[in-house]
Amino acid sequence: MHLTLEFGGGLELLCDAVKIHDVHVEPPVGSEKMTMRDLLLWVQKNLIKERPEMFIKGDTVRPGVLVLVNDCDWELSGQLDTTLEEKDVVVFISTLHGG
Amino acid sequence: MSCDASSCQSSNCHRNGDATRPRHALPPVDDLAALCLKCKSARPFSSSSSAVGGGREDDARFCADCFRSNLFGKFRHSVISNAMISPADNVLVAFSGGPASRVALQFVHEMQYKVQRDFDASRDRSLRVFGVGVAFIDESSAYSVPMEEANKVREDIRWIVSSLSPPEKELHIFPLEEIYSNGLNNGKEKLMELLDMAGDATGKEDLLVHLRVLSLQKIATDNGYTRVVLGSCTSKIACHVITATVKGQGYSLPADIQYADARWDVPVVLPLRDCLEQEIDTLCHLESLKTTDLPHKESLSTINTLVSSFVALLQKENPSRESTIVRTAGKLTPFHFNRIPELKDDNVPLATRRRQKRSSLKLNGSLSSESFCPICYGPVNPTAHSLSVENTDQPRCNIFVDSCCLSCRFQILPQDPSQMEHFMELWPQTFVTGPKQQARSLHLSSLREQIQDCLLSDSDNES
Amino acid sequence: MAEADGKAQKDAGRGGGRLCCICQARKPALKRPKTLQQICRECFYAVFEAEIHEVIVENRLFKPGERIAIGASGGKDSTVLAYVLSELNQRHNYGLDLFLLSVDEGITGYRDDSLETVKRNEMQYGLPLKIVSYKDLYGWTMDEIVKMIGMKNNCTFCGVFRRQALDRGAAMLKVDKLATGHNADDIAETVLLNILRGDIARLSRCTSITTGEDGPIPRCKPFKYTYEKEIVIYPLTPISFYYYFSTECIYSPNAYRGFAREFIKDLERIRPRAILDIIRSGENFRISTSTRMPEQGTCERCGYISSQKWCKACVLLEGLNKGLPKLGIGRTRGPNAEPKQDQMPNGSRSMASKQCGTLDF
Repeated sequence: MHLTLEFGGGLELLCDAVKIHDVHVEPPVGSEKMTMRDLLLWVQKNLIKERPEMFIKGDTVRPGVLVLVNDCDWELSGQLDTTLEEKDVVVFISTLHGG
Repeated sequence: MSCDASSCQSSNCHRNGDATRPRHALPPVDDLAALCLKCKSARPFSSSSSAVGGGREDDARFCADCFRSNLFGKFRHSVISNAMISPADNVLVAFSGGPASRVALQFVHEMQYKVQRDFDASRDRSLRVFGVGVAFIDESSAYSVPMEEANKVREDIRWIVSSLSPPEKELHIFPLEEIYSNGLNNGKEKLMELLDMAGDATGKEDLLVHLRVLSLQKIATDNGYTRVVLGSCTSKIACHVITATVKGQGYSLPADIQYADARWDVPVVLPLRDCLEQEIDTLCHLESLKTTDLPHKESLSTINTLVSSFVALLQKENPSRESTIVRTAGKLTPFHFNRIPELKDDNVPLATRRRQKRSSLKLNGSLSSESFCPICYGPVNPTAHSLSVENTDQPRCNIFVDSCCLSCRFQILPQDPSQMEHFMELWPQTFVTGPKQQARSLHLSSLREQIQDCLLSDSDNES
Repeated sequence: MAEADGKAQKDAGRGGGRLCCICQARKPALKRPKTLQQICRECFYAVFEAEIHEVIVENRLFKPGERIAIGASGGKDSTVLAYVLSELNQRHNYGLDLFLLSVDEGITGYRDDSLETVKRNEMQYGLPLKIVSYKDLYGWTMDEIVKMIGMKNNCTFCGVFRRQALDRGAAMLKVDKLATGHNADDIAETVLLNILRGDIARLSRCTSITTGEDGPIPRCKPFKYTYEKEIVIYPLTPISFYYYFSTECIYSPNAYRGFAREFIKDLERIRPRAILDIIRSGENFRISTSTRMPEQGTCERCGYISSQKWCKACVLLEGLNKGLPKLGIGRTRGPNAEPKQDQMPNGSRSMASKQCGTLDF
């Protein structure tokens, strides 16, 4: 599945200072659909190069990190249970940056 | 402990606080290396203490005896300088089984024991010995604790209290559901139903706390006690300062954190206000004081648990943080009821009365104009509090909601207005007409009069 | 993100098919932390701007004809503030003369980038920009200061110098007021920090929407009740017509890992209204009026308001110029011959997250 991942608000610094990543991700073995929970694991493993604690806390994003799936607050789509689809755009923005 | 608020330049205050040593601590002594800071003869127990509680530097350099007398000294100082206990008093110690109330119980017992000894030795026997009782609020039904475990805890409590005599202490084991003293046997169900109505997990925890406070008042009034002693220590109070702030209870906060709180029929006192949790744990460890606890599941994440871990983290980073937090909140203006009412009894020794004069707080505002939230009994801010537009035909539950503080409205009252009537049925009636109710209802009506002149916008509060 | 728009159709099902609870027509795009309402982007912009207008009107932040400087760091808060204020000024005929005021601390690779953003804002909104630099005002850049004193304590210099630089810049612009981009999260954090530090004087005024009315230039915070989350979302519009720069100060790289900020964000997750509740607590604290700050005089050296003989900036500067940079920091004694400190004790991990890069309270 092709996804566009965007990191902002300083989070890009955790992944080689690259803001936009066009990636190919497969749902976990034995599962047909891909959820945000799966994507976070994948991002942690494949994109985050340093200070993962700035991005993840527990099994979800650290409080203060905003997640938008196709321009829409993931709090509306079920957060970790949000199902992803082909060509979705997922944006992660840290709000913990200077004003 | 805290500097004179009027002349305090806060930054210096902060400095003093962070270099903290306990209030009664000694002036710094030259390096007597491995000996106790105070008696300079015994060995400090520091190596073990740091394992026990992390200990503050000074404590760690005390020997066990000096550590204990230092801690007892803080307790004694709060009791004496705030006139918490006088010879005529009958004191009810709230004992949860945990370390802090265990230490409070121990210290009150020792104080009573000494007075009794002096009394027995004295010729004229003019001074009475204050009485001590113990209350254990059994919340096992609220937490659905299995019967055997609850029984075990009650056994422990009985054993601990009986070991603290003479003088003998009456023990009141009070199942929380007995707040429904209607003679029917449905207390447990009503309690569970009431707790379930608080939709918010934090609200449910707080509701239990409020019911516990009310239970203590009930035990105290029913049995002729004149004081309720709580084991609230600095660390617990520091957490309360933060949780109250986070819940928007900034106005009522100072009412809860003083040495004395006489908004109730039976005044509540906090003699361990200057003792840290670490010190208390260390004492329990050193003296093998038995403690016990109802096994209940930690609720997932509530404001209260989040704040506890936040404060613990800060305390680890800086061992005087909890004291600083309590000192800051201590600079907020207390309420007129935050002192033990003036003693009029001629039997009270002059010295006690004088001490009380000296410690009396500077009061702010008029004396009896405070109105209280009927749920948490916190004073309600008259300027920020808005009643809904005057309507004489208002159903009684609207009046009830209006008199609640914003915090209780949000986290304890049912969010569905249609459930309000039922909530009020479940709210223990004994206490709706509880302490100081008169002042409150008077105030409600006066508020309704005032509302004509100043219709306040509630947009900020409701948002 | 333009691509995402084309997918709106497909996504309708994912949001549970609900509609925006304001317009009842469009698909909701976010959940408002303040009200928990699910609303669409269009309604969000409208309500976001309307609320700020309401705050400005209710609190009488500005008077017609006033000259207002907007403290502009190039960061998200001040950029959104500059945009919203200039919009509202036109829409509601506030009659204000707006200016952008920036401080150039002289930090290579940090401030020069963000100043580019501010310059872009100047063009986009047509607001005149004034940049005051540490170099011009004090003769030192932050780079030079750090070279001299090292990485420790440099936030003290920066904070003291910035506060004064803003006042001086505002005086040069002859403005009546300075508006800063502090948001609700910032203010809630400040309330907590002041409790943790024991600073009752600051605690008593940190929730005021306007401060310094007795000083040379009053400051106000139109975003006092605005959630950071909404400020971050606001510029993410498909017609993204301005930029905002976000990074952290290179001299305080871990500043935003502060305990207090993290705590606020944890709280927000459990109970979003906690942020406004903290502010309400701060407003309602019973602090007796005798617990005020010491009397304000003026610095004998530069004439800036100061409660001491010399203002803090002059003390710090004296130290720098004499090669004694510790002067005025911690327990060392300066010309005022009184110990003073702004630092957190024992230089441990900072509790505050945004003491750098933001405008001083």
